[in-house]
Amino acid sequence: MSVVDRAAAAAGVPTGFYTLVKREILRYVRRPKNTFIPPFITNVLYFSVFGVVLGSRVGEIIGVPYILFILPGLVVLGAVSNAFENASFSIFHGRWNEYIDETLTSPLSYTQMVWAYLLSSALRGVLVGTLIGVLGFFIIGGLYQPVPVEQPLYLVAFLLVITMLFSSLGIVGGLLAEDFDDLTMMNQFLLRPLVFFGAVFYSLEDLTPLLQDISLLNPMVYMVNGVRYGFLGVSEVDPQLSLGLLTGGTAVVAVLNVWLFKRGYGLTD
Amino acid sequence: MSQSPPALDIDDLRKEYDDVTALDGVSLTVPEGSFFGLLGPNGAGKTTFINILVGLVRKSGGHARVFGHDVEADYRKTRNAIGLAPQEFNVDRFFPIREVLEHKAGYHGIPAEEAQDRADEVLKQVGIYDKRDTRFDWLSGGMKRRFLLARALITDPDLLILDEPTAGVDVQLRRDLWELVTELNDQGKTILLTTHYIEEAERLCDEVAILDSGQVRAVATPEELKDRGTDQIVVELREPPATLPDLLAGDDRVEAVDLDGHQLTVTARNGGLVAPQLVRELDREGIEIVDLEITRTSLEEVFVEMTRHDDGDTAAGDASDVDSDADAAGDDTDIEDDDSPRAEQQVAPDGGQR
Repeated sequence: MSVVDRAAAAAGVPTGFYTLVKREILRYVRRPKNTFIPPFITNVLYFSVFGVVLGSRVGEIIGVPYILFILPGLVVLGAVSNAFENASFSIFHGRWNEYIDETLTSPLSYTQMVWAYLLSSALRGVLVGTLIGVLGFFIIGGLYQPVPVEQPLYLVAFLLVITMLFSSLGIVGGLLAEDFDDLTMMNQFLLRPLVFFGAVFYSLEDLTPLLQDISLLNPMVYMVNGVRYGFLGVSEVDPQLSLGLLTGGTAVVAVLNVWLFKRGYGLTD
Repeated sequence: MSQSPPALDIDDLRKEYDDVTALDGVSLTVPEGSFFGLLGPNGAGKTTFINILVGLVRKSGGHARVFGHDVEADYRKTRNAIGLAPQEFNVDRFFPIREVLEHKAGYHGIPAEEAQDRADEVLKQVGIYDKRDTRFDWLSGGMKRRFLLARALITDPDLLILDEPTAGVDVQLRRDLWELVTELNDQGKTILLTTHYIEEAERLCDEVAILDSGQVRAVATPEELKDRGTDQIVVELREPPATLPDLLAGDDRVEAVDLDGHQLTVTARNGGLVAPQLVRELDREGIEIVDLEITRTSLEEVFVEMTRHDDGDTAAGDASDVDSDADAAGDDTDIEDDDSPRAEQQVAPDGGQR
């Protein structure tokens, strides 16, 4: 029995819920070459190409080097895509191979099941986001200037909320998908466009007023600006409003998750 | 004195998939501690019935209670009471089998330390302890079956559901499994068994239900069911009479009396009870008997008769689906009895590494 097991038991965490969270976390922690190394390599490439090579031509945006400007966006991109992918894959792969039956035939409540998938996937998002942040600290700190963390509480809060939101959406995706292609489509045709038009690589100021208004319909804009506020202390959208909207959205999708589990959507015949 | 509720109390249970009726008003009661068999041809609704109990299929109507707990309203209590060994190999492929068992135990609220001990215990019980650090995919077919039983046992359930547990396993393993489940039943566990092997049901079950086209055709002990079939009394005569006397007249158990040369054949229900009367009547007529043999109807014949449809076939369309030779070494090709869409065992194309 590990120290964590003992701590969880001492804290009164229900054993069934704790076991499912642990199982979900062990699944990705034991496979770093599938879960942590790919975002590490991808972000080294992003920093190299967009930050170092192209960034020198762009110069500064909102008073900071371009590479520092894109760091929060890359953290968001890594965090939300991993949170989404983990939740959707875990649910869908379990359905596909029917081993999700091990969970469904257990006495866990539907709420416990959902929260176990949600928290473990959010944790993966937070870990990947942190990994990218640390990578940025070394690359940007070594080449340009130290990376500031002006609003650490906001940074933590945004990171938690956005990973929870995308874990929740991942659960919906995992329940809706009927094939592995559906998961790929969700990632490529929904998540990626939202991220790339979410002010990761550019400032909203560079857009026309109409495009700025349209951009505000994209939840990614609030996430990127929220995390940017955490790092740089500047945001093009009110961070409190962003946090409020994202928290509300997360709560709604989490409730939807529990409802879908109770209904057995995608899980039972 | 309050009486404990039955292990299963099923009332007018229904399940419809679009225009297909999988269960059409199933009602039955399984007493606590019994060994209950569920027999039926492919598509009879057996797996749908089981999946409703464990929460993998939602019923369309009726009631199902496990030890008094409704399968939907009290789903947590219901699921905690059941250990299921399904037909499909629906096992977590990411972890060694010992860890899979520990996880399953944990989901049922068993603390980690106890779960480890129990995992070792059940792996030893089913004889695959040496493979504890192996992932499920690397086990042989027989070991996979043993593992499913171990997973069903890890939570020490009050109701053990075995869905075709011996399909595709060799003779030795089949006998080992029989011995093990009999022992578990002797210890007080209620066992619900579905099987294609009639001999298995006959040997193990206290009571069986015959399910066909989503309906219960009969619930009785194997002996009672066999009594419903017709036996044959074959009598070898020293000198056949020129004309057959009016034997067993008025006995409504007798269906036919035929004489063919020296051989007199009487077809009757409860042949064992009819035979003495037949012997007396032949003696009275002065007909000498050389030999007498009673061929008892088999449970298989009763099963085939009960599930025979108007076209003369059983619901399965082929009586070979009912395998009476439980000693025949099976293969995996007959594991296709599932009647629900979940039956399509699918394998992830990417090996599940994301």
